[in-house]
Amino acid sequence: MDISSVDTSATLGSSALHRVHPVAKLIAFVLALAGVVASSNVLVLAAVALALAAVVVAMRLPLRQVFGLAAYPALFAALFAFAASAGPITAAVLMLKAVTAALTALTLMFTTPYPYVFAPLQRVLPSLVGDALLMTYRSFFLLLEKLQRVTRAARLRAGLVGRQPIRSARAATLALGTTMLYAFDMSERTYDVMTLRGYEQRLHVSMPASVSRSADVLTVAAGGALFATCLAWQLAAPVLVSLAWIPAAAATGLLVAVIIVRRLS
Amino acid sequence: MTHLHIPDGVLPLWLVLASWLVTLSAVGLAGHFGGRRDVRRKVPLLGAIAALMLVSMSSEVVPIAYHVNLTVLSGVLLGPWLSIIAAFIVNVVLALVGHGGVTVIGLNTLMIASEMLLGWALFKGLDALFRHRRSAAVAGVATVLALAITTTLLVGIVALSGSAATGRESGAFDPRAGRFGALLSGGVVGNSLLNPETAEEPLPQLSVRRFATMVYTLGSIGWVLEGFITAAIIGFVSRVRPGMVRGRRPEVRLVGDEGVSH
Repeated sequence: MDISSVDTSATLGSSALHRVHPVAKLIAFVLALAGVVASSNVLVLAAVALALAAVVVAMRLPLRQVFGLAAYPALFAALFAFAASAGPITAAVLMLKAVTAALTALTLMFTTPYPYVFAPLQRVLPSLVGDALLMTYRSFFLLLEKLQRVTRAARLRAGLVGRQPIRSARAATLALGTTMLYAFDMSERTYDVMTLRGYEQRLHVSMPASVSRSADVLTVAAGGALFATCLAWQLAAPVLVSLAWIPAAAATGLLVAVIIVRRLS
Repeated sequence: MTHLHIPDGVLPLWLVLASWLVTLSAVGLAGHFGGRRDVRRKVPLLGAIAALMLVSMSSEVVPIAYHVNLTVLSGVLLGPWLSIIAAFIVNVVLALVGHGGVTVIGLNTLMIASEMLLGWALFKGLDALFRHRRSAAVAGVATVLALAITTTLLVGIVALSGSAATGRESGAFDPRAGRFGALLSGGVVGNSLLNPETAEEPLPQLSVRRFATMVYTLGSIGWVLEGFITAAIIGFVSRVRPGMVRGRRPEVRLVGDEGVSH
């Protein structure tokens, strides 16, 4: 689970979706997720997944990281499907639901810096919870880097070369322990900084101004279209019918077109 | 595997809503009671420990699809109120990076918070019983027990959702009933494309026995692994900073790694 790539892309990316206002992206995310929850048609879910994949490709997001993270929940959905003795279609529905919901969340997170994603949540949560949420995401990257450095140092100090599971595990545990002490010290340092800066029980996150109103409206409309398609299809044809291939084929066409355009440009 | 990696739109709607209600109430209470004193110190501490949990979760033991959680360790360090908040924060972040559904954040928070609270209570009780002389071993035992109990809770939740699915109350929208219908009991996930003669493919029910066998088999390896890791870390920390484990603040503040003196 390589979360560090999420922040790099969200902060340094410059695609059209990066420039859309965070609130518009959040609304589109909620609508798309509602569509995934409402749908149980394997081909419609596949269509949503393919459409989101087209967005990921078009926005030049890091493909390996996005699809790697999106595929991760499929493993657990497969275990659940196995436990449920599900047939092939139900298993595919479960896995597609997991992958599509993850892809929806990842498209948001890879294009939006975390303070803007958490700011609306922070405003409605108790101050301790909302502020700690922001602090967690910030601390995560610092600790991840620290753990990687300490693990490397512990392995070098232990003279580990190649696979030595017991000694490697000991070195990894020592690294985790050291990182934990570092986390404690880091929290003390942050406390000092917050005291100096006059923290008064609420971190303030200012949202950026909208760059293009039409892009914001278009993003929300795209989310709405995904939701409407899922719901309408669920109402009109709850079971797989002979026309069920249409949305999936359309989404495949979109993905192919995006890949071709990206290759040519 | 003590938090649910079940996708969005699969568990019964009533279960999802009820768990969100309980979680938000618990987080509200924890925010109120946990934030009454010394908030300035608690915010960064919560952030650091929740981040540590996320860091540990980001490395999986691939063959058994298990990742270290450090829930019991974090529970011991944070105490009950802050543990609930940390569990919520960790699940929000995990859901946003695709690791667990967004709609099951409520349930996952309850699962992880129970693990942290149980671990904290077991560790404190057993550590006091052994007069702080066997902190590492006690941490290992507390971790294995807490994980075993919460895994049983997980199986209970899945059993509850499975029976509810039979009652056509699952997460997928059923247009004929005008409500969210049974994903795992057939009818909603039908197929007239591959089986034209039957518009509704009768689907098998959720096998709780099979799920439990799988979870206990894979999970028990994880419990032992997590028990060893927690024991080793608690042993290490209780040697270098006993105050952290016993609930007292360290008397001497150490020099940071970047050479920043406090």
